[in-house]
Amino acid sequence: MSQVLHPIEKKIINALKETQKLNTDELEKKTELSSDQVRRGIEWLKLKGLADVSESQETKYNLSSTGVEVLKSGLPERKLVNLLKDKPKTFDEAKQFLLESDFHAAIANAKRNDWITIEKDDFTTKISLKVQDPQSSSEEKVLQEINQGGFDQNTLYHDKSQHEKLVGYFRLKKLGLIEEIVNKSKTISLTEKAKDIDTSKMDIEEIDVVASVPATFVARTHPLKEVINEIREIFTSLGFSEILGNFTQSSFWNFDALFTPQDHPAREMQDTFYIKDSAADKVATPVQIRQVARSHKLGWRYNWNIEEAKKMVLRTHTTCVTIKYLADKKPDEARIFSLGRVFRNEKVSYKHLDEFNQVEGIVVRKDVTLRDLMGLQQEFYKKIGLPKVKFWPTFFPYTEPSLQSMVYNERLGKWVELFGMGIFRPEVTKPLGITKPVLAWGGGIERIAMLKYGLDDVREFYNNNLGWLRTAIQCL
Amino acid sequence: MPVVTLYLDRLQRLVGKTSREKIISTLPFLGLDIEEQTDEYVRVEYSPNRPDYATDFGIAAGLQGLLGIKKGLAKLDVKRGPYQLKADQSVRKIRPYVTAIVAKNGTLDDETIRQLITLQEDLHFGIGRNRKKSSIGIHDLDKIEFPLRYTTAAKAHRFVPLGAETENSISEILQNTEVGLQYGKLLENAETVPIILDAKGNTISFPPIINSALTTISSSTKNLLVEVTATDKNTAEDTLSVIAATLQNAGFFLTSVQISGAGNITPSLKTKKMSLGVEIANKILGLNLPPGIISTTLKKCRLDALPKKNKISCTIPRFRFDIFGPMDLIEEVALGYGIENLKPTLPHSSAVGQKNIVTKQLDLLGKIMVGLGFTEALNSSLVSKNIQYGMTNRDSFGFLQVVESKSQEHTILRDMLLPSMLDTLSRNVHEQYPQKLFEIGTVFSADDPIKEEISLCCISAHKDANYSEIKSILQSALKTGFNIECQTSTSTNFCFAKGKTADVIANNSKIGTIGEIDSAVIENFKIRMPVVAFEIKLSGLIFN
Repeated sequence: MSQVLHPIEKKIINALKETQKLNTDELEKKTELSSDQVRRGIEWLKLKGLADVSESQETKYNLSSTGVEVLKSGLPERKLVNLLKDKPKTFDEAKQFLLESDFHAAIANAKRNDWITIEKDDFTTKISLKVQDPQSSSEEKVLQEINQGGFDQNTLYHDKSQHEKLVGYFRLKKLGLIEEIVNKSKTISLTEKAKDIDTSKMDIEEIDVVASVPATFVARTHPLKEVINEIREIFTSLGFSEILGNFTQSSFWNFDALFTPQDHPAREMQDTFYIKDSAADKVATPVQIRQVARSHKLGWRYNWNIEEAKKMVLRTHTTCVTIKYLADKKPDEARIFSLGRVFRNEKVSYKHLDEFNQVEGIVVRKDVTLRDLMGLQQEFYKKIGLPKVKFWPTFFPYTEPSLQSMVYNERLGKWVELFGMGIFRPEVTKPLGITKPVLAWGGGIERIAMLKYGLDDVREFYNNNLGWLRTAIQCL
Repeated sequence: MPVVTLYLDRLQRLVGKTSREKIISTLPFLGLDIEEQTDEYVRVEYSPNRPDYATDFGIAAGLQGLLGIKKGLAKLDVKRGPYQLKADQSVRKIRPYVTAIVAKNGTLDDETIRQLITLQEDLHFGIGRNRKKSSIGIHDLDKIEFPLRYTTAAKAHRFVPLGAETENSISEILQNTEVGLQYGKLLENAETVPIILDAKGNTISFPPIINSALTTISSSTKNLLVEVTATDKNTAEDTLSVIAATLQNAGFFLTSVQISGAGNITPSLKTKKMSLGVEIANKILGLNLPPGIISTTLKKCRLDALPKKNKISCTIPRFRFDIFGPMDLIEEVALGYGIENLKPTLPHSSAVGQKNIVTKQLDLLGKIMVGLGFTEALNSSLVSKNIQYGMTNRDSFGFLQVVESKSQEHTILRDMLLPSMLDTLSRNVHEQYPQKLFEIGTVFSADDPIKEEISLCCISAHKDANYSEIKSILQSALKTGFNIECQTSTSTNFCFAKGKTADVIANNSKIGTIGEIDSAVIENFKIRMPVVAFEIKLSGLIFN
């Protein structure tokens, strides 16, 4: 039999050959190994069928610090007895010599021990001893035994004559006079198989190539960032170029330029993060402002207010970045994408974050169609590993027509709603001087990342739980 | 988004000849998301631009179209009636617009009442902007004596409000009822409040707060009066049009109410005409449909459409105020054609895609940090003031705050990454050491406009962590990735240990700080290991 043993295992085997049974402490002393090494060595030997481990438990009883005091000064009832030795006392007399709390216990216990008699007349209550020198009570016996080290609670259980003592033990324990210390110990012995091993004949150079080793954690990119990077790669491979923009935006670009009326519920504080005491000085060019104001007046029939548009918000989508780009550059043809964090004033839950990543792709060209938009989606999903896609109509305030895509997830066994898409409304593009059709599509990235990592709780991405960061594996 | 419950038996009865399966599979193609499905009912979410889908009556009409059971526009048939409602000049300043309609000879079962209430609530919330812009009262017509007066009343005015048994004053309603407390502020503490009185002087409604108990509807009610008050005339009519169409679908016969006074007129609820070019429709959808087919698709969406050469003349019911222009009609064509029939095409392009230069630089830096043995962490931009300043012993001066955050942990914008990284270590004390982490993220500072910069924070915690280790990492990262030499100069920095911290200098200017974290700060975060860290601004350093 070829058997490779770790030096730790060899030391343990040799020690056990000398003494058949050892507990872990003894093994440590004998082998001069650390407790951790001994623990691991025993585990390995057990797995290999070379050692037997039997676990045992031993309880030690000690007096607590108050227990030691009581042993010296006596229990309250004994104090009472000592007090009564010269002559009987009234309640009031006895009270002078005993603590208030001790007094009641002393009376009750002395009575139970049948040490005293209590007589009542019209004016006083008198206590006298029944026997001049009462024998030790079961409590006192237990105290003595524990002090001398001969007490074992377990022996009391099956012996009826010891019942009183057991009750006494529990009383003392309740009073906090006794401490119990439970010692668990393992006794290790060699199996028959191990007894034949001669460690001196083993090759010293040989190592145990089968044994398990401690885990090494690789330094790595954040799992969510991996997905973000993958999405960037897919966009660039489809001919899209990346544009960036600020997280803080004026309401003008986040809402007004996208034809969101100023009294729209999405603009309220319970949905959007407004930055306190902050307003943009100059939000856009005078022409852009004039045209957007006009579009709102015509379309929504209200008096558009520039002050409302100046309020700074944490962007609720990346569309504010793309629309500003289009308004400033007015390209006849473009493929661009914008990716980054967006914010919603939502209660954080396993489903929702108040800060997450979004990607948005834009195609500008005179002859692009809704079917093209669907085709681009399908291509994107195929590249990211989600080949089953279908489309449903939906509504977005700034696109028309609008669709949403559903992808089939094998793990969940169901269709999951992913990116939304549409063609920018003329009410959005016209005022900003954008004349060619604009296809737009995008959505949250965490949702895709959840599918990729098989997560059911989106918060995991921002918990920075090292256990997860170090071991997360893509399952899609 | 609003949700409506559809009982399948009832819906099937309303739609007519079709199977349940067909109904359920068609719902998404009306733009309705199925939230929940049982044998008995489905719950669907509908878009706020289609308030007519707030009831099963509206959804049934939509399904009939797509399934080809009934096509084209369902004409609103409003008979002229003897009913009158006059507005007083006094309402002008407070809630100027009123409109109304009568619906007769219908049957209200419990489910129909529930559907109408849902519709009312959704209209209040959506186009009514939480009753501010418009609000609706639905009344039992037979309890009302015409003509009605829309006027104002003092706060001492008394009537029995819906749900109560005794008379209450306006003040009491505003102070003691849930709706009063919730919507009373819409009246902005005016001296007088809007009120609708009937010919006998009975109060029938106190808009936008509550109806009177007198006109409460029940399953025995046959005839209804619906009134809408509003701050905007068009919104009043928009709101009324949806209810009118729904009640007609529910089997009621509509009769007009003559409205007059203070600039108010009888609502017309007329259809709208719009022309759609065949060419533009085909161009946007990527199809080549003849005018006749396009007309059919529009009719399946319950519009009327007449092809005339290369244009389609469309008639749109009043309640479809979500239709602004041709693009909206094109969406209707797509829906009528069937989204499932639109085959995706991949547009060709010779464009070469490029990552942004900033992204490229950050990607490179990220790779270098991983190569140096650091694992990437991601924290929120929104942080708590306590972690950001309190626990790191830093001055909280001039930070940027967000208004009414729903999360106490997310109330200010971070000006530095390090505090969140310390918090990360704090939450991982049970994990194996060494713990070496980095984050690349945006930091904010109050300026005009608000300044956003990208920073790198790098942190290392283990029993031998020390200044030399982290300085070596910093220099290696900048040198290897970007050929930048950086120096460190003696300094004192909040949250770092005295005598063990420095400013980081590159190109003769300070780009950040480095050092061993102060033991008091480590204590605050309950970390039981030495921690070293640096944080530098990347904006202006590795990109502009």
